[in-house]
Amino acid sequence: MHTSMVRSNQAIAKPSLAIFAILTLVLSLLANKAEAIPAFNRQTGQNCVACHAGGQFPELTPYGRLFKLTGYTIGERALPISAMAVASYSKVANTAKSDDPAGDFQKNNRAILATASLLLGGKLTDNIGAFAQVTYDPYATQDANGNFHGHSNADNIDIRYADRFITDKRDLIVGLSANNNPSVSDPWNTAAAWMQYVPVPSPTSSRFIDGNAPYPGYGAGGNIAGLSAYAYWNQTIYVELGGYGSSRGLTRFMSAGIAAADNTRLQGINPYWRLAYNREWGAHSLMVGTSGMVARAYDDPLDTTDSGTIHKFTDLGVDAQYQYLLDPHAVTAQFAYMRNHVRYSSASLADPAAPFFDSTGSATLANINATDTNHVLRAKVSYVYQAKYGGALGFFNLTGTTNTANQTAGYDATGTLTKTDGAASNLSGNPATRGVTLEAFWMPIQYLRIGVQYTAYSRFNGASTNYDGFGRNARDNNTLFLYTWLAY
Amino acid sequence: MKSATLALAAMAAIVSVGCANPERSRDVANPAVPATTMALQVCSNCHGMTGNSVSPNFPNLAGQTEAYFVAQLNGFRSHGRRDPAGYEYMWGLSRSLTDEQIKGLAAYYAAQSPVAQAIEGDRGRLEAGKVIFVSGVADKGVPACSTCHGPEGKGNATFPRVAGQHADYLIKQLLVFQRTDERPEGSIMKTVAHDLTPQNMQDVAGYLQAMPGL
Repeated sequence: MHTSMVRSNQAIAKPSLAIFAILTLVLSLLANKAEAIPAFNRQTGQNCVACHAGGQFPELTPYGRLFKLTGYTIGERALPISAMAVASYSKVANTAKSDDPAGDFQKNNRAILATASLLLGGKLTDNIGAFAQVTYDPYATQDANGNFHGHSNADNIDIRYADRFITDKRDLIVGLSANNNPSVSDPWNTAAAWMQYVPVPSPTSSRFIDGNAPYPGYGAGGNIAGLSAYAYWNQTIYVELGGYGSSRGLTRFMSAGIAAADNTRLQGINPYWRLAYNREWGAHSLMVGTSGMVARAYDDPLDTTDSGTIHKFTDLGVDAQYQYLLDPHAVTAQFAYMRNHVRYSSASLADPAAPFFDSTGSATLANINATDTNHVLRAKVSYVYQAKYGGALGFFNLTGTTNTANQTAGYDATGTLTKTDGAASNLSGNPATRGVTLEAFWMPIQYLRIGVQYTAYSRFNGASTNYDGFGRNARDNNTLFLYTWLAY
Repeated sequence: MKSATLALAAMAAIVSVGCANPERSRDVANPAVPATTMALQVCSNCHGMTGNSVSPNFPNLAGQTEAYFVAQLNGFRSHGRRDPAGYEYMWGLSRSLTDEQIKGLAAYYAAQSPVAQAIEGDRGRLEAGKVIFVSGVADKGVPACSTCHGPEGKGNATFPRVAGQHADYLIKQLLVFQRTDERPEGSIMKTVAHDLTPQNMQDVAGYLQAMPGL
């Protein structure tokens, strides 16, 4: 039984890989013929490597940071439209330890068109520029018959007003950013909105790829509406202060395509801050920074009548990025740590019964926590040669408080083990997840990146073995992920 | 819907009026933007506010001769100069500059003071570089750099200033001259660089970067 399953998987793997290869070839031919080029490239007429470190979009070079902070206004007005598409292939190490492989590992071992985005970006006036992305997910929903349906929604949006007061002795860049994702306005790639950037496919076979492994992030999430003011002094000190509220009314476009029930509803204006020190010497640049956000969100986005249903996130991060950029070498080292604290709403704590029982089914587990605190750490080193061949090694470690409310596996009232989140179910109520990702990529032309990632887990959902109560081990989630990413 | 229409109308109004701000503009296609503004708002991002760049990826422009500077920007604009660093970074930015702006930029950088660069590497190698600069490589028929670039390496008309230039940049350009025809306006350097060994290039580039410190 097991052997035949492995065989059939291999039988599928070959044609799928062939399709992936063909798709990659077609995309690269398309790109070679394409006269259209990315909007920012058209605007400045420069090659991708001018702004993106070693050509690995979206990581910015020192010049790319200045391009962004001056409001995308360098250059001349040009057709402000670009597009990108990602084809991918995911293969989870162990798909046998699952009671529902079809649901747990959708599209496993298959090449798929993962996502596609339309990007609007560029200079509008001498002081105003924008970057806005609409993303299409071909696997957004699945109907009762198992068929997938696509959906588009607003992705990152950053509309800027910037001015620069510069002489031969001092330099001050100031600006405003209207955006929909805290830290999307940031010019460093260790910012929460940017550290994870390889697009993540929706099918569950990609649930363990690096992009879905722990990354620092703000509790309030994206698709909210914010305005931040920033200043960058002598390319040394960067300060940004912002406030975020719900995306609705005039700012509803910032969450366009997101259903009301999935749209974060915040109470009032919620502060975001960022402070960074930057230094450049020779081919080196270093940034050390901190950032944070406090946000009050309603438990139910559809019911904002009761302030007792508000939970509060307090997130505090420290990050650092080092770059060595001297053609043909590009070395980047990144570090980001974030402490995420959440205080649950009084309404949710009023009835603090845990969702599961002890193994006899006779008594509920200990009461749920009033607060939870998680710590996320990410470190990554990458090297790109000739803006063509690259490799990276990443490490992630998430630790946090144990909370019975966060269990998605446990015993029901009859003492039977159950789970609610398939192969990613959590028996311990602890989030601890740790692992490494190895990546190699190739950029045959500047608009195309072909990459392979292997993510290996030593811990998942609080345990290295049997984390779901059904015998699934952390290493069973190790995943091979191939992607072809075209942007033009 | 109404609010979206209003927002669109406001956006259209802003774009059509243009909000031109030539004194602090980063528009490289607006002839009204003064050269000094261009130098500070755009060029400084890589070449530094006074033409002294931080990263050796980008050449120092402070104290560069005006004639050489104008010839290079004309070369980028017309795609005559097509070494990778040239077309990747400079073709686009120079494509719409006016002759007047190019002249103004040349004057701006010629008037800037070069900052002393780090003296890197072994003394002996720097001395070897000095010999090449002052006397050339006699047995290979390589002429002395100083003949055209001046005894202090400050350049002369279309012969560029090389003193205080980043060694990495100098080596890369010597390789461009030696191995390619990507800088036809500098074809004289093809002959000069023809017989330079990689060690020769490193030595002379190290010495030039250190000038006038040595």
